[in-house]
Amino acid sequence: MIQLKKIKKTYPMGDTPVHALRGIDISIDEGEFLSVAGPSGSGKTTLLNILGCIDSFDSGEYLFNGDSIKDKTKRELAGFRRENLGFIFQTFNLIPVLTAFENVSFALSLLEHRDEEIKKQTYNILREVGLEGLEERKPSELSGGQQQRVAIARALVKKPKIVLADEPTANLDSKTGESVLQLMAELNKKYGTTFFFSTHDPMVMEYASRVIRLHDGEVTEDTRRN
Amino acid sequence: MKFLLSLAWKNLSRYRRRTIITACALAVGLTLFIFTDALLKGMEKESERNLIWYETSSAKILNREYFNDRKLLTLTDPINEYQALHNVLREESADFTPRIVFSAELLVYEDPYPGDGSLMVKAAAVSPESDDSVYRFQETVTEGRYLEKGEDGILLGSWLAEDLHAEVGYPVTLVTRTKSGYYQTIDMEIVGIYTCPNPYVNRSTVFLPISSAMEYLEMDGSVTEVGVKFPMTADIDKEAEDLRTLINDIFPDLEVYTWKELAPDYIQLAAGKQAGSKTILLLVLIIAVVGISNTMLMAIYERVRELGMMRALGMDDRKIRRTFLLEAAGIGFIGSLLGIALGSLITWYFVNNGIDMTAFTRNMDIGYRTSGIMRPAWNFSTIIISFIAGILISVGVAFVPTRRAMKMEIAECLRHQ
Repeated sequence: MIQLKKIKKTYPMGDTPVHALRGIDISIDEGEFLSVAGPSGSGKTTLLNILGCIDSFDSGEYLFNGDSIKDKTKRELAGFRRENLGFIFQTFNLIPVLTAFENVSFALSLLEHRDEEIKKQTYNILREVGLEGLEERKPSELSGGQQQRVAIARALVKKPKIVLADEPTANLDSKTGESVLQLMAELNKKYGTTFFFSTHDPMVMEYASRVIRLHDGEVTEDTRRN
Repeated sequence: MKFLLSLAWKNLSRYRRRTIITACALAVGLTLFIFTDALLKGMEKESERNLIWYETSSAKILNREYFNDRKLLTLTDPINEYQALHNVLREESADFTPRIVFSAELLVYEDPYPGDGSLMVKAAAVSPESDDSVYRFQETVTEGRYLEKGEDGILLGSWLAEDLHAEVGYPVTLVTRTKSGYYQTIDMEIVGIYTCPNPYVNRSTVFLPISSAMEYLEMDGSVTEVGVKFPMTADIDKEAEDLRTLINDIFPDLEVYTWKELAPDYIQLAAGKQAGSKTILLLVLIIAVVGISNTMLMAIYERVRELGMMRALGMDDRKIRRTFLLEAAGIGFIGSLLGIALGSLITWYFVNNGIDMTAFTRNMDIGYRTSGIMRPAWNFSTIIISFIAGILISVGVAFVPTRRAMKMEIAECLRHQ
């Protein structure tokens, strides 16, 4: 589904260039539950941002179902993200003034679905992530784990090809983090949606069917598990 | 669009304190704008009315030579054929009145006055029978009575009377020159004191009957001017042109001058003041704009991460911009509504009660022909313009920070603290 070929990314830091990615080659298949691990500064977030088309790369090739991403305009990229990608952020990034229901339905309203359809799908996904009865609560009225479940529901409600999660359990206690991971794994199996998440937590890596290790912007290990 | 509107409204309600503070900054600016504009308009309207009612009339018929030297108040170029002019105007059923205007030295002596003294005044000899058909002095008499034909009575303005410590029944002496240039001394008795809202008149003009002046100044039936009244709603220039057509052929020495031509100093002053007032109004608006832009800037920058999330999820930049601008428009709407409500309320209060400016105008010449109670005048176009401008200003000042935030990379937005 996704092929990254010799992706390089350099950030300027004052006068010194920082090589965040030094020619990454990865291919991701549909339905994978994949974790990218590595210490801070290894390039995990940069890789995730490039996969999510929210950051550019200096050289290399990014193919999605055979199509190159590189030449797409800003507007086309927005459309691409809208249709194909779901995001889960470390800090949840929910809209504070909206309820759980509205935060989730927001993703569908961008696709201009009919109101009835939006309502039905939003209630369904909120039930799936265990938030039935909490639909009208605002983020401030939910626990961290519940907020991350809303974020997962928001990422999955539009049935994207791939969900990108940047350290999804970093802001949660270990018990809540584990339950969130279990949920992600269940949804991966149920919908066949690809999950690609970054982490440096060994417990999180345990859940992944494939672990890619990065160090100084290079892949040092790519392990698949059954 | 429904979603964007609902999001904008929810954000406005969530950040209620900021919304209220920003809207209030705008409201204060607009309130000042509406009230200042109404006050200036009121002063202008009242000045024009007081000029026409008490100083210039709608128009005057003058000898062309007299017009050029009219400030000298000489008697050398009068309207000699007044009787013929009177007949022509009467045939046309015009409202008109003759006057002899001259400068004089007014002398007072100790007993009954506190001391001897003199001062230069403008003396207007008026026809007690017809003056009120053009001017409005009869109703301004606050002590004593109005003039009667043939008497040696004089009317003084209240400020002039105060300065002289004069009262009704006191004698005064006017020293002036006759039409032929000889000195003439006229002893008169104060029969009334008038309080005229035009400070220029109230401060230094005395009135006496035209029949007395005709005799003492040896005018031989001539007058210095004929005041003409046009209906208040009439097109002054057109009415003046009609009158010119009527008299120019018969009286080639005479000309019709409208109040605007007779008071160019006021017209210039009003234009100058208008420019000055606009600058003040602009400053008021700039202060409001700075206030709004500051809070809008904060509002947008503290939500950069939210903006990054929306963009990451694939929301169009156009739609995101619209959300923020809708919020700004919402603040503008609330501020404008508050501003016009408050501005209208203050204007309404002062339209009904007025502002007492007597102490201010008594000793100071501010150029406007107003004194005493000043009242603002409603200017509905300004209220509508203020309302629209308030919304546009809010949207305008939100545009730049929104654009700047939209130029940030999405990843950078998501990292924003």
